[in-house]
Amino acid sequence: MSHRPSGETLAAFAAGRLDEGLALVVAAHVEINPRTRQDLAELDALSGAFLDTIEPEPMGVDARSLSMALPHRVEDVPARPAAPPDAAGLAVLAPYALGRWQSVGRGVALRRVDVPNSEARVFMLRAQPGTRLPAHRHTGAEWTTIVAGAYQHEYGRYAAGDFDEADDRHAHTPVVDPREGCTCIVALTGTVRFEGMIGRLLQPFVRL
Amino acid sequence: MDANALIQSIAQSSDRQAFVKLFDHFAPRVKALLMRQGTPADLAEELAQETLLMVWRKAALFDPTRAGASTWIAAIARNLRIDAARREKRSRLPDVFDILQGEEPEQPDQVFDGSERDSRVRAALTSLSPDQLRVVQLAFMEGLSHQDVAKRLSIPLGTVKSRLRLAMARMRGSLEDLR
Repeated sequence: MSHRPSGETLAAFAAGRLDEGLALVVAAHVEINPRTRQDLAELDALSGAFLDTIEPEPMGVDARSLSMALPHRVEDVPARPAAPPDAAGLAVLAPYALGRWQSVGRGVALRRVDVPNSEARVFMLRAQPGTRLPAHRHTGAEWTTIVAGAYQHEYGRYAAGDFDEADDRHAHTPVVDPREGCTCIVALTGTVRFEGMIGRLLQPFVRL
Repeated sequence: MDANALIQSIAQSSDRQAFVKLFDHFAPRVKALLMRQGTPADLAEELAQETLLMVWRKAALFDPTRAGASTWIAAIARNLRIDAARREKRSRLPDVFDILQGEEPEQPDQVFDGSERDSRVRAALTSLSPDQLRVVQLAFMEGLSHQDVAKRLSIPLGTVKSRLRLAMARMRGSLEDLR
């Protein structure tokens, strides 16, 4: 079974109403997942259809005079921006600055994605095969797109291209695929609370 | 008016007359669309102008096999609206949308003409009742949560959900073979 954003989430994304950090994680999923890419194209077509049927509003400017001031050259087709090195090939990360990979405990490394307009913290996470992440819950949203490999938790198995939309109702203990490991991109709002002894010890160091 | 041909004429020969035709048709509609989405009239006017200027500059990027002219122009307007809403901090999200729109479909058997998809969606919309249409517009075009749609229309959340379900069932019926 594949995990994808809810219709409501994708519609808010298409309309440009999502927080930029959360939107970036949805964009990563759209980049990887062809089915969601089709759904997005359909939502865009819906906007186009509304544009055709809408009652026009008169403009205050004359097109003819505006056309005199047009720049002469039209733009060439730009090359698709290259994904930043080591961002697991994600082109949607190209407009953003990436931090350095940092180890945050055994088998887990993390690199920050700098999204200046966001309420959310965004980062890429890489976990070695078989890593068991400490049980935790959130006060806000935790949205994840799996870029490579897989993990499994109480709500199912999430593999490359899947989207995991958790909120404060979910407590989970992700276990990383024993063969492939896992690379994902995550946006977090609110705070993360680790549970149990090891989690509490870890808390001050992980500061997600 | 053949909008696809006009855009291609701009791309090939910087055709200013084609620009005037496109502007006269689309700018007032883009302005109306932006106002429906809550943009104040004077900003909507400005963004509608910018949208058409962007059509001029980006005409060479237009690919009618991916999306029809209206869909492409609506997407440009969306990106400019996001950028304007965060102008002080300059959002990078419009670039992200550009990257996603540049994506090629993967499997050859999934490739269908974007203009065809557009006209199917348009036909599907005409099968909806005015009540269903309004809910679809708020939920999908404006991206409101179901809760906010209920508030905006002063109807119960359950009614929003059932209208959307019925509307989607109708639309799915006419779009089935596209997915």
